[in-house]
Amino acid sequence: MDFELTEEERRFREDLQRLLAQELPEWWRGMFVEDERVMPFTKRFCSELAERGWLTMAWPPEHGGQGASVWQQAVLREEMWAADEPRGPQYMNLNYIGPLIMRFGTDAQKSRFLPPMARGEVIWCQGFSEPEAGSDLASLRTRAVADGDRFVINGQKVWTSYADSPAEWCLLLARSDPEAEKHRGISVFLLDMATPGVTVRPIATMAGPHEFNEVFLDDVVVGRDCLLGELHRGWDVVVTGLTFERVGIARYARAGRVIEMLVEHVRRTGRDSEPEVMDKLADLRVRYEAARLLNYVAISIQARGEVPTTEASVARIHNTQLEQLVGHVGLELLGAAGQLTHDDPASPLGGEIWRQWVRNIPTTVAAGTLEIQKNIVARALGLPRPA
Amino acid sequence: MDLTLSSDQEMLVDSARRFLTRSWPAEAVRAAETSADGHDPKAWSEAAGLGWPGLCLPAEHGGSGAGMVELALLAEELGRAAFSSPLLAQTTLVALPLAWEGNAAQRTRWLPALAGGELIGSAALVAPGARDERSSPPLEGRRSGDGWVLSGSRVLVPFAAVSSLLVVLADLEGAGVSMLVVEAERIAALSRQQALGGDPMYAVSFHGTVVGTGDVIGRPGSGAALFARALDHATVASVSYGVGLGERALELSVSHACDRHQFGRPIGSFQAVAHRCVDMRADLDAARWLARQAAWALDKAGASGESAAPAGAPAAVAGASGESAAPAGALEVAAAKAYANDALRRVFLNAHQVHGAIGFSLEHDLQLFTRRAKAFELSLGDTVQHRRRVAEAMGLGRSR
Repeated sequence: MDFELTEEERRFREDLQRLLAQELPEWWRGMFVEDERVMPFTKRFCSELAERGWLTMAWPPEHGGQGASVWQQAVLREEMWAADEPRGPQYMNLNYIGPLIMRFGTDAQKSRFLPPMARGEVIWCQGFSEPEAGSDLASLRTRAVADGDRFVINGQKVWTSYADSPAEWCLLLARSDPEAEKHRGISVFLLDMATPGVTVRPIATMAGPHEFNEVFLDDVVVGRDCLLGELHRGWDVVVTGLTFERVGIARYARAGRVIEMLVEHVRRTGRDSEPEVMDKLADLRVRYEAARLLNYVAISIQARGEVPTTEASVARIHNTQLEQLVGHVGLELLGAAGQLTHDDPASPLGGEIWRQWVRNIPTTVAAGTLEIQKNIVARALGLPRPA
Repeated sequence: MDLTLSSDQEMLVDSARRFLTRSWPAEAVRAAETSADGHDPKAWSEAAGLGWPGLCLPAEHGGSGAGMVELALLAEELGRAAFSSPLLAQTTLVALPLAWEGNAAQRTRWLPALAGGELIGSAALVAPGARDERSSPPLEGRRSGDGWVLSGSRVLVPFAAVSSLLVVLADLEGAGVSMLVVEAERIAALSRQQALGGDPMYAVSFHGTVVGTGDVIGRPGSGAALFARALDHATVASVSYGVGLGERALELSVSHACDRHQFGRPIGSFQAVAHRCVDMRADLDAARWLARQAAWALDKAGASGESAAPAGAPAAVAGASGESAAPAGALEVAAAKAYANDALRRVFLNAHQVHGAIGFSLEHDLQLFTRRAKAFELSLGDTVQHRRRVAEAMGLGRSR
């Protein structure tokens, strides 16, 4: 048991912080703002990381990585999420879409899809949820019908993050065998978003643009070479991918950054010795410690080469609720002025706390709702399945 | 960074669990609770045979030289079994302070006997009416010849009747606040108290107890820092014990939720019930790792020779933004206790809700753990106080 990063990992964090101080433009406020500079910047930033070998540092060398430790990767995720994820949508490539292709892909798929990811040149999105398939993802209805060497896909996806960024590729789930038991008839496709029949329609959200889209698929033709993993066995890919995804984001790191901002703010405004203020900030800090440690527990299991299913869900239960609580308590500490959004020049802390609150309203819904996470843990506890 | 157990740590946990399952069933807990002094000498000598009282003590004094992380792992198992013993208080409040700052004579006299379990030590720290150990004013020591005569009394002293020595904090006239080790023969009086937690608790009077410089642990006047350091160690051990209590409550709840049928189904198949169990899991995992992190931080501070509580370091010296003013491990320890106090409250509310009426009955084992969990919450500092310590370690509270 060791709760400390190595000297090398700590130095890497300092290097990253220097790079961020250098590269992050003054206007950078994350992805979900109406600003044409945002997506080009995230691509430039990813290329910058790639040049330094940091973009895919945890990938194995044969796929353009350095086989860096999971802990270096964790440091990278922490610094990126704390800085509003300047890698943009590409964090998904690195955390799980790439690793899924490594794990389930053919040699041809690996050499076709991984190098552009490693260079930081390509945005992927994830076509999972459908209007009638949210928590019950396996009931999805988008159909893939085999037609010789190709599949013809029809259906609709929704809540697809970054599809309008625009994403060049999509990790798409579709039902390939409608007769089979619902988990046994799903396949995963690597879909070129430029394929005829793909239509993206952005969904305006409380947080701003780029967050969510609908994706319509009308007679979209995909070659068999873009089937990931075995036909009809896509659910195995999904389960592995969701496990990667659950610890793929260092949510506690952003929460920790916002807590620091709040500490600074109450100092500046002379409220740092009010007992209630101290109590609230300390409570956030304690929960931050807990969320961070539980992510580290899951990462420690990954470091042993195992898949931390339950631990990832427990970590996510803590991390998502922490991100929400930090926003709520943060706005409470700002008082009435907390109502000013980041579009108002008088918004305290540049609207960062408003953003923390509003962005995290759907955090306990995405990537498996809080209730679904709890169901996963309930099974691990040995509790009987619901009727 | 590696939050997994080493093979030695796994072995410690496994052997503790095997021993406790065999030798310390719920009947033993009940028997100890109804016995005259609340102590089971047979279980204690078996625990000593496993080396537990000496686990964290230096090898030269008969210990195994392990650290707080190991004690925390053991404490989780003790809590899981509601093992009633002086072990954790003795180790953290008596033996470790002697090992850190005791003189050669004290170490030779006490440590091997404590490590071997031949002697029992406890600590008398709570002043009558005080909020907790940390806020208790020390006993008074009036100069008398070469030594001092103590006055004052303490309450909620665990296992006092079977203890050969008690650690106290006293403000010694002319010397200042000091930590002392006092043999049981010198205690004026003790009387059993009726406390909810299962461990035998005593009120102890120190009126007229005579002490000398030879009884002081460390330098006279250095007691506050030593006491703070010992309390941090005791706090961590108690959180781990509390996590163990909650862990058993969760096991009992899951098993009840699987066995109990209503509406033709096991009640655990209802999400409303299942999710209560999951909330317990999530709360306990967080408390467990917060405690282990705190234990590790104390070990690290100890190994680097850094006192976990430097005497009177003013918070302001760290400057406006640093967290470095806090004693090493202070934030981690306070975070663990603050979280665990609230978490165990939730865990036991959930456990009782899942159990329904049967959990309230004395025949069911759950109540053994519920009572101990409440005693845990009420000892060694409440949530508000520990959150305040966290806030101070964050650099808040300096603008007064």
